[in-house]
Amino acid sequence: MNALIRRVLPRTLAARTALFLLVALMAVQAAGLTIHALDRVDLQRAAMEREMSSRVFGLWRAVVLALPERRGALLSDIDLPQGLEATLDERPNVRLGMPPAPPPVLRMVRPELLMGAPPRLRPREIQAGMGFGTLNLSMMLPDGSAWLNMAVHAPPLRPWHSETFLIAFVLMTAAAASLILWAVRRLTRPVRDLARAANALGRDVNAPPMPEDGPLEVATAAHAFNTMAERIRRFVGDRTQMLAAIGHDLRTPITRLKLRAEFMDDDEQRAKMLSDLEEMEAMVNATLAFARDDAAAEPSVPLDLAALCRTVLDEAADARPDVDADAFVYDGPERLTVRGRPIALKRALANLVTNAANYGGVARILLEPPRNGSILLLVEDDGPGIPPESQEAVFQPFRRLEVSRNRETGGVGLGLPIARNILRAHGGDVTLRNRPGGGLSAAVVLPA
Amino acid sequence: MEPAPHILVVDDDREIRELLARFLEKQGFRVTTAREAREARRAWPLGRYHIVVLDLMMPGESGLDFARWLRGQSDVPIVMLTAMGEETDRIVGLELGADDYVAKPFNPRELLARIRAVMRRAHGEGARRDPLPSAIRFGGWVLEPQRRRLLNPDGVEVSLTGGEYELLTVLVERPNRVLTRDMLMDLLRGRQAGPFDRAIDVAVSRLRRKLEDDGRNPSLIKTVRGGGYVLAADVERAA
Repeated sequence: MNALIRRVLPRTLAARTALFLLVALMAVQAAGLTIHALDRVDLQRAAMEREMSSRVFGLWRAVVLALPERRGALLSDIDLPQGLEATLDERPNVRLGMPPAPPPVLRMVRPELLMGAPPRLRPREIQAGMGFGTLNLSMMLPDGSAWLNMAVHAPPLRPWHSETFLIAFVLMTAAAASLILWAVRRLTRPVRDLARAANALGRDVNAPPMPEDGPLEVATAAHAFNTMAERIRRFVGDRTQMLAAIGHDLRTPITRLKLRAEFMDDDEQRAKMLSDLEEMEAMVNATLAFARDDAAAEPSVPLDLAALCRTVLDEAADARPDVDADAFVYDGPERLTVRGRPIALKRALANLVTNAANYGGVARILLEPPRNGSILLLVEDDGPGIPPESQEAVFQPFRRLEVSRNRETGGVGLGLPIARNILRAHGGDVTLRNRPGGGLSAAVVLPA
Repeated sequence: MEPAPHILVVDDDREIRELLARFLEKQGFRVTTAREAREARRAWPLGRYHIVVLDLMMPGESGLDFARWLRGQSDVPIVMLTAMGEETDRIVGLELGADDYVAKPFNPRELLARIRAVMRRAHGEGARRDPLPSAIRFGGWVLEPQRRRLLNPDGVEVSLTGGEYELLTVLVERPNRVLTRDMLMDLLRGRQAGPFDRAIDVAVSRLRRKLEDDGRNPSLIKTVRGGGYVLAADVERAA
């Protein structure tokens, strides 16, 4: 049932509101017109009754007052209204066993009027009975010579019969519908604006605030939204500043420790200490890079994406002298010019390549020429991959999949979030999926 | 024997100052330290310094202001200590005439390598030292040392690895001169921390690829029989 309603209902608030209002309006119109029609029925019936009774009375008078030998000719001459037939017979046309005429039908002819007439006009006897929707009325003439038999059948009442009726209905409905559509669109526009503002806020915390005008409720909602945006902004700002301050303050002690390490006599211990410190530094740098999100500050320039891919792979290979250089493969065009922020893009790709090399042992970049206005770049490895349910979760900051592998592969859990931030700032994105043959594939999409 | 080179270290952190002084003294330098720009200005006339190691982030007068003042006094080589991400400061510093920079937290040995390289460039080769040029043009390509980037003839940025960049710098500084592998190794070791561990040939072939130089028939970086390379291009420098 619910499913059916959901299927039938239009999807937008505006359309739903308009639909409800229209249905309600049509119901109200139908009710109003029905009341109007019922009034017409009463009027029509009253008019008809008056007409019928006066014709019946008139006919009776004319027949009674006419000379007895002229009565037959009179009856054939006289112009009778539709639904009224009259004959002069020896016998009444009301037969025994006919159901009695109900009072509303009887009211059409008002026999009491006849019975109240002066004695020379009063019928000797009146019989009434129903036969096949027709009122049979038999009146014995005052001289008792014959019966005036009348068959009255009321013309059907036609309360809906009116040319203006349908036109009025259509015109009113159309006018109301266009008013409703216009008003509903106007009324739901703030909702659309709110959705748009919320979307913009999701993409950029510093998106411009909503205008706080319009009807009171809308202005209140806009104000509440702006207040919320301001709080989010402040929250993000505080967090960013805190991360930046921590990162910044850690530089001095790390520098000191690196200097101190130079005074250690034990070469092995010194090398280990330096490598620990490098790791700390990498974490601090990643945290700072994430907190500052400085991709936005770098100007966008034309750059060679193919050369960038090679650089990232070569640097990854240089940093791993123990890994076979063949593990880092670039497959794609010799040149591919895109617009972008070179340092930021390099960081994004380097993060993906580093992950591939650390977890998958190898890193291959497959760069495809632009198609349909976008560029696809795949960073593949031969590692264990990532369970599908975690493939989105790893883009959350500080989220690390492996509980504790060795520290070399550890990292701080910011590589993927930083890469995604940067690529999204370029109008692209990065998603992960496992390759059918094993290994992980990071799909980077960039606008061409 | 030449007297030990004299270094002025300007850094606001006392520990770093003292540790750095000890470290550099151990490496055979004479070191004077200053806590901030004011102290450095006082120390400046008292010694004949071969090089200044300058922290950019200091309380009071900034490192950039001090570098500007220092440039007005002398063309002593300056190595800046910058924090990562202070991209604009770094570029301004290089434009002001600083010779190199090391990002904090730095590896002391890398700093030492940079100091030696800068001193060799400044005092070695018997040449007066030019400030880092903003652009070096060769064969249609543009190398921008202050921004550490390479633009192709269409103005498209072509990224280089650290090794490729250093190799290209060495080559464009000595155009049309044959450099043997040993010379290149020597020149590159002065620039990079740690050994330049990939073979020169690999680096050259990578660089050729980036420069769209056909490996079999190179026109920019030519192979010289007997083991050497030469950058065959006219080089034009813009300050």
